[in-house]
Amino acid sequence: MALFYAEFPFLTAILLCCGAGLLTIMLIPSNHPQLIKWVSAVGSGLTLVLSVYVFIAYDQGLGGLQFVERYPWIESLGIQYFNGVDGFSLPMLLLTGIVFFTGVLSMWQLELRVKEYFALYFLLVAGVFGLFMGLDLFFIFVWYDVSLFPMYLLIAVWGSTRKEYGAMKLTLYLLAGSALILPAILYLVAVSGLNTFDLVTLTRPGLFTPFQQKLAFLLLYLGFGILAGVWPFHTWSPVGHVAAPTGVSMVHAGVLMKIGSFGVLRLGIFLCPEGWRYWAPLMATLAVIGIVYGALAGLRQTDLKYVVGYSSVSHMGIVGLGLATVSVDGLNGAVFQMFAHGVMTALFFSSIGYIYERTHTKMIPELGGLSRIMPRAATFFIIAALTSIGVPCLASFWAELMVFIAAIRVFPVHGVLAVSALVISALFMLRVIQKTCYGPRNATMAHLPDVSFSMSLPRVILVMVIVLFGFFPGLMVDMIQTASVPLLGGSAHDVAAVYP
Amino acid sequence: MMWQQFTPELYHFAAALLFTALSMTRRVDNRRDYWVALSLAGGGLIVCLAAVRAEGLLFLNTYKVDLFAQLFKVLLSMGLFLVVALCSELNGVARRWHSEFYLLLFTCTLAMMLLVSSVHLISIYVSLELSSYSLYVLVALRRDAAMGTQAALRYFLIGIFSSAIMLFGLALLYAATGLTYLSDLVQVLPGVIDQPLVLVAVVLTLGGFFFKLALFPFHFWAPDVYVGAPNQLAAFIATASKVAAVAVLLRVVAATGGQETLLVDSLAALAIISMTVGNLAALVQKDFKRLLAYSSIAQAGYVLIGILCMSPEGADAAIFYALALLLMKFTCFLAVVKIAADGGNPSLDALAGLHRRSPLLALALMMAVFALAGIPPTIGFTAKLLVFSAAMHKGYLVLVLIAMFNVVISLYYYLLIVKAAYLTEPAVETPAPVLSLSARALTTALIIAIVVVGFYPNPLIVMARQASSSLF
Repeated sequence: MALFYAEFPFLTAILLCCGAGLLTIMLIPSNHPQLIKWVSAVGSGLTLVLSVYVFIAYDQGLGGLQFVERYPWIESLGIQYFNGVDGFSLPMLLLTGIVFFTGVLSMWQLELRVKEYFALYFLLVAGVFGLFMGLDLFFIFVWYDVSLFPMYLLIAVWGSTRKEYGAMKLTLYLLAGSALILPAILYLVAVSGLNTFDLVTLTRPGLFTPFQQKLAFLLLYLGFGILAGVWPFHTWSPVGHVAAPTGVSMVHAGVLMKIGSFGVLRLGIFLCPEGWRYWAPLMATLAVIGIVYGALAGLRQTDLKYVVGYSSVSHMGIVGLGLATVSVDGLNGAVFQMFAHGVMTALFFSSIGYIYERTHTKMIPELGGLSRIMPRAATFFIIAALTSIGVPCLASFWAELMVFIAAIRVFPVHGVLAVSALVISALFMLRVIQKTCYGPRNATMAHLPDVSFSMSLPRVILVMVIVLFGFFPGLMVDMIQTASVPLLGGSAHDVAAVYP
Repeated sequence: MMWQQFTPELYHFAAALLFTALSMTRRVDNRRDYWVALSLAGGGLIVCLAAVRAEGLLFLNTYKVDLFAQLFKVLLSMGLFLVVALCSELNGVARRWHSEFYLLLFTCTLAMMLLVSSVHLISIYVSLELSSYSLYVLVALRRDAAMGTQAALRYFLIGIFSSAIMLFGLALLYAATGLTYLSDLVQVLPGVIDQPLVLVAVVLTLGGFFFKLALFPFHFWAPDVYVGAPNQLAAFIATASKVAAVAVLLRVVAATGGQETLLVDSLAALAIISMTVGNLAALVQKDFKRLLAYSSIAQAGYVLIGILCMSPEGADAAIFYALALLLMKFTCFLAVVKIAADGGNPSLDALAGLHRRSPLLALALMMAVFALAGIPPTIGFTAKLLVFSAAMHKGYLVLVLIAMFNVVISLYYYLLIVKAAYLTEPAVETPAPVLSLSARALTTALIIAIVVVGFYPNPLIVMARQASSSLF
């Protein structure tokens, strides 16, 4: 893998923005909530600007890893501070920046323990950013846990519905995942005999025997799979999402679950390609079960957040299916789907958060006629739902299309099942739209105000992103190509040949 | 020349003598005792730091002064200093016994310093007993005499039992090899460790140290003693005493050589049982100190993984783990002492609303608890990473997997502590714990140490490596 070092450490700058934001928030006395919110908005806005810059400035012609920063950290163990981005991590960085910023704006109305909320939120996002740009296994693991443990307090303090149960379940499940990841990392480092945690060095072909790859891949897949909501380890996900406050649901479903599939990709697939090919049928089967199960379980839900929670299980199944196809199309679709689903879910939770804040309910039977009571809020919700169904010209459509094409080629039965599940999910999403946004108006809610312009800003940003990448999927696919083609053995120059 | 290398021990001996004299004066002055003890302990830390590069063999070669021992003496004196710093409100001990309390703390520290330098079976045994006897009496000093005596008696009985077993092991070891110097044993043991007699002798000998470390099957005393002892003393037992046990275990286990033997398997079994028992029992505890006791038992299991690797990496990891335990456990007990200002035993419910009453203390407690649970970027995570990495280099994949699952189990009760401090609101409004300016500074320093050492441990790992190089 080619390495291109950075002149200015943009990636570290992103982390420093989070760190400086965190410190500033900690130092502001808690009786200045408005100031804390502004600091959060500026800090998260800066990270968004930086991640957009990095996305644009990445040289797709060169490919490889760019913006690389590398310093020794713990020499006796071969641990380095090693960051860099490629076509897989850039979409994720961009996604994190978008969701982080809009997540702060969506929580503008927060009044309870504002300082602690934003401090923990910054810590969480710092972990996410670090993980996406990290290239040293030690740091990847550290960031993984940094992004998880603020979650417990974020859900348990600021959440709703069964929040303490949801928080505990989520934390234990996700850290059970890390109980598989850490041994896998240490195992690979130990058997490589190289005394290094450097991901790039460890991806050298022929370093691990097929058996070692199969074992380590299984551990990594299960460990990260818990976070990615792979069936049957998904049960924490709907419960956790429902319990979490709006901003946290956004980051959690939008970004954190992607850490899971990104981990499978970055660690599992990069380090153990043999293991990947060996376990691909298992991955595909679990993914399809997840897709079908998520769609069917969603049909029965009456709580809006549960609906989105189960649809996340279904959509993350599509990501898993894409990864399982071991093909360029599948990888492109999977990473694109990670991005698209992230933005879409953020929009979903952001609009539900607004609806809940006003109506104090997220039960579908109690809502109705929202499109007349608060037309703007309903519009955002409907756009999210349509994206979720996979309506053309919205980002998810292309991602799902690519995955399904690849899947039908490699696993025809799985592919057909997955496509048919999409029909079910379309059915239940349309039913939800019909029941909440149309139909008779709930009289007790008729007086509620619509989203003000300033409040709709985060949702507008998310909609714009969805539409932008829906109309110009090439922006994203070209980027992912630069990583997926070399990963499957092609050189960077073959990129153009795949999609002429 | 010889006495220079012996300065830390002499210093602590002199301090103990001074408190013997103070305890005989008629006037009871707790402030005076506290300030004398604090300045002496601070001086002790400086003396130990100054002597860290000393080297030599003393007393007919039964006493080895090397970087390994001196580093542990620094840790011990640091533990003593921290614990004494908590004694400004020593309400768990009757007022007239305060100077005796400090006296015994100093003799106990002295004994543990002797222990980490001993390289002869008899000197190891004698120093171990000296430290244990100091602790038996200390536990009985609890103001609530019935509680203290009961705990002390239990501690004493199990201690005597384990030291009898250890003596038996020592005798068998001598019978099998005819040697008493560790430096001689290290030549002979690796060749004969597979003989049943030698194996039994080594395992029984280690029993004495397992008692100190509160490792299965010698862990039964820990919950009762933690609860029965004055809070400050429980902090001392949980920190300094454990550090000394890690040091001596490292020395003795290293003397058995590093080969794949039945010994490793039996130690691995003990480690697994210990962490599982500790973690499962901790899940249902309501008393904060009892919970910490069971968590100590589990932590002892993790440390043992580093020790049983019998490799330089494993020894580094165990040394680092000892430091981590010192900081993490001390921070937890800092919270215990401050919450139970009357010297009683706080329950988990007493933590309710701590985030409002004292945000700093709540933050320190949360960081310490996350460190104990091994969540990065804290010192506890780095310690676990080092231990597991050393075990993995030896190929103990299953052992690491079991240990990691234990970590997940333990997370549940650690999160209960966080939940108690951050989520639960107290039923009755309880007064905020009083933190003086120096206590605030100490708490802040501990938080910073837990995070910074966890995130950038390189200098300490380098030092641990230098220290462990004399073992192998």
